[in-house]
Formats: sequence, structure tokens, C-alpha cells
Amino acid sequence: MKHVDGRAKGDPVISIQNLSVSYGSKRVLEGIDLDVYRGEILVLLGEGGSGKTTLLRQVVGLDKHRTGRIIVNGCDVSTCSESDLQNMRRRLGVGFQGGALFDSLSVEDNVALPLRELTRLADSTIELMVWLKLKAVGLSDAAGLYPPELSGGMKKRAAIARAIAMDPEILVFDEPSAGLDPIASAGVDELILFVKRAFDMTLLVVTHELQSAFRIADRLAMLSHGSLIAVGTKEEFTHNTHPRIRQFFDRQPDAVPREIADSLIASWLRKASHEL
Amino acid sequence: MTLQERVGREVIVWAEEVGALTMQFTEVLRKLPRVLPIVGSVRRWRATLEQMLVIGVRALPLVGILSLCTGFILALQGVMELRRFGAQQFIVEVVTIGFIRELAPLVTAVAVSGRSASAIAAEVGSMVATEEIDALHVMGLNPVEFTLAPKYLATLITVPCLTVLSALCGILAGYVFLHFDLDMSFRFYFHAVVESILLRDVALAIAKSFVFAAIIVQVGCLEGLRLRGGPEGVGRSTTAAVVKSIFLVVFTDLIVTAIVYLTGWSSLG
Repeated sequence: MKHVDGRAKGDPVISIQNLSVSYGSKRVLEGIDLDVYRGEILVLLGEGGSGKTTLLRQVVGLDKHRTGRIIVNGCDVSTCSESDLQNMRRRLGVGFQGGALFDSLSVEDNVALPLRELTRLADSTIELMVWLKLKAVGLSDAAGLYPPELSGGMKKRAAIARAIAMDPEILVFDEPSAGLDPIASAGVDELILFVKRAFDMTLLVVTHELQSAFRIADRLAMLSHGSLIAVGTKEEFTHNTHPRIRQFFDRQPDAVPREIADSLIASWLRKASHEL
Repeated sequence: MTLQERVGREVIVWAEEVGALTMQFTEVLRKLPRVLPIVGSVRRWRATLEQMLVIGVRALPLVGILSLCTGFILALQGVMELRRFGAQQFIVEVVTIGFIRELAPLVTAVAVSGRSASAIAAEVGSMVATEEIDALHVMGLNPVEFTLAPKYLATLITVPCLTVLSALCGILAGYVFLHFDLDMSFRFYFHAVVESILLRDVALAIAKSFVFAAIIVQVGCLEGLRLRGGPEGVGRSTTAAVVKSIFLVVFTDLIVTAIVYLTGWSSLG
């Protein structure tokens, strides 16, 4: 793959070209090429520390240490001006891993925040829009609650409601199922599918939850140690023989390197002989 | 590591600190008009008023009590020493000039540093840890305008006001002690105070309090924004904010006082 490549579906709305990211001498991402097409849900898989969240932060322009190009809705994140970047971000919704809701604002005010700050809509219109978004995510009864009063699943729903408040064309979500029980996680998956259908969005979702990925994805991509090792459909991934993908899918641990194993055994033997 | 390397490293760390403070200050200055009433955004001005309540109004009891205690101590110590030289008639000048020139700005700045530099660092740091600052960025909102600028303006307004209050409390405490110790009448004390107050001393105190306010809010915000490592990091940030802001306030006061002394500005009649 890129043993398996995704099918072309017109122009990509997110195009990542030869992206490399380093922090000091540590290379976090290496030569990433990835396209996300209009109307699809692309799920980015990978083990912890593989660079998934770094890639997502690059796409939304939160980190600037990079070589290569990222084009979102025609805006080159690497070279565009700050005002173009702001405009691009207004057409992009982002759901953070922990929700990133403002604790000092109620759920309703959290969702209303971008509308109040970035539009000149009348208060009554904003109220209606907020209600519609909260209704869509099933939180219309929790509008007056504050984030610390919400359960994990409700926080994710509120975060989705805020992310879609401005009716963005693209929704980017970091670990939507992280920290949720299976029922809440399944609920968030269904909500993501509903949001895509109802608002005709393109979604880039980062996760390491296989069940969730297979439920929502149109296409999958997998990162390992900062490199993109596969992009393809669910069927293509199921039959993929790449050892890292098989290890990930079969939930196999990393083998302990020989020299570390030898030194652990030697130290255990020394301790045992000393005790004897 | 050799001594030179250590010194060099410390110099680089401090130069980075000063650079970061300057960049942040420039960015906030650019955004400050947005939080002003009338010309700016109503929502930001409302946020500024809330911050004024938190930073200024809620600090009133602490600044007041600290200033009363300090004024009382200054009068007590001053009378003891001046009495040895038969010069206790100068005690009112000692209390008044001491408070207006030096103690009021310093006591206020230390009190606000302890209360608000840590609180600002904790609040901004928590916003960094919970990705709220990132959320503002990706929503297309400027975190400097949204979060920092109201705190700056609130601190710049309230600290000079608290300084005036501190001076009044300190001078009042001096009167209370002198009334009981020397049986001094309020009328006499009041006249002596008015005689001792010089406009340039008041101007210097207000100017100093503006600078101290800027230092406190700058350090608090910067330490918050630099937070690394979750809840433990919040603890480190708040401690660093208090220590650095108090150090910078005292150091700046030393520089200003030295300049005033060397230029002979304070002794101009």
C-alpha cells in the first residue's frame, strides 16, 4: 500500500503531501501522503504514539513544525496567511479527545460561542440553531448543564454539537470513543454516522478502537511509528497481510527485544541465586 | 558543566523569558482595543468587568489588612527610632512618604501576585491542559483577545486603584498608632500628611503600580500558556508565576528607585 490505495472520488477536500514532522531530533511523522475525499469518513488508525494526533493537529493548523504540504478546502495550511487560515478553520469543525468544552460556560453557551463570536446572527436565530444542534446530538435536555456535570458520553456529544455549530464542511475528530463505555461509544459512533448523513459532511476520525473504526469508516488509513503503512477500504484492510496491521487487528503485543529479554533473565537468575 | 556554561545557559533561559514576555505583551497590546468599552466588543468588556471583580474587588480585604498592618508597624518602628534622636515629629512624613513612594505599590503588588498571578496561571494553564486554548484557535477565535486581554486590562485598572487604597489604609494605620502613642489629633495628623504629600510621589507610585500590574498579569499568563504535563504542571506553573512575579516586581522597584535616587528626582523641591 501503500499496499492498497483508496479509490479516487474527485478532488480531495484534505490533501496531505509528503508531510514530515520533527520535534528536535525526534521524527514524529515521515513522508505522509493521504487524501480525504468529499462526503467520506476516513478513519485514521494506529497504535498509541504512532503520530495520529500529531497528524490531526497538523491538518487543523495547530502545529507548524513540518515539511511537505497540507491543503484543506483549497487552503495550503503551510503557506496561507493567518486570515486565510482563520477562514479555513471556520469551515472546519474539530472534536477534541477530552471535549475541550469551556467549563465556565453551560453546554448551550459552549455551542453558541462560535455563532455569537463569528456571525452577526440575531440572538433568537442563534438560540434556535443551538437548540437544533443539541437536539441532533440528543442533548436538548442538558442545555443548561455545565461540562463538569456531564458524563463522558454527554461531553463527546456536546463537543460534536459545538463542532458542527457553524455547519462546517469537514469534521475532524480525535479519539471520539476514548474513555467511554461500550454503550456510550456505540452511541457516539451512531451519532457520527448521523451527523455525516444529516449535514453532508466529510469526516477525518482518529482512533485506535477497531470496532468503532469498522462501524463508521468508508475508508481506513493506518499509521505506525510515524509512517503511513496502509490506506484502503474495510475489506482491503481485513485481507491485508502487512505484519503490523495483522498484529494490530489480532491484538498481539510487541515482542520484547532479545537483548532486553536476556538481561531480564540474567538479572532474575542473579537474584534467585543470591537468595538461595 | 563548567561555570561559564552554567552562566551561559542561565543567561539564555532569562533572555528567552524576556523575549517571550515581550512578544506576548506586543500581541496583547494589539488586541487591547477589542476589550475597551465603546470602541471594543461588549462581550470582552463584560469579561473585563468580571476579571476586575475577581482580581481587584476580591483583593480589597487582603490589600486593606496588609496595608493597615504595615502602616502600624512602620509607625511603631519609626517612632521608636526617631524618639532616640528626639525627632518623633517627623514620623508623619516617614509614614506618608514611605507608603506613597514605596510601600503602597509594593504591598499591593505582592498581595495581587500571591492572589492573582497564581490564579491566572492556573486558569490559563487548565485551559491549555484541557485543550480549550486549542479549541479557540480552531474555532477561529484569538485566545489572546478572548482570554488574556480582559485579564490584562482588568489588572491594569485595578492594581493602581488598590495602590491608592493601600496608601490610604497605611496612612490611616499610622494615625491610629500615633493617636494612642503620642495623643496626636486627627486634624494635626491630616495637615501633616497633606503637607508631606508631593504630586510627583503620587505620580511615581501610580506609574510603578501600572508597571507592577503589567508584570503580574504577564507572568501569570505566560506561565499558564507554557504549562506542560497536566495537573502536576498546573501546580508548577502557579508556583513559578508567584515566585517570578514577586521577584520581577521587587527587582523592577529596585531599578526604578535607583534611577529616581541617582537622578535626584525625589529631592527636587
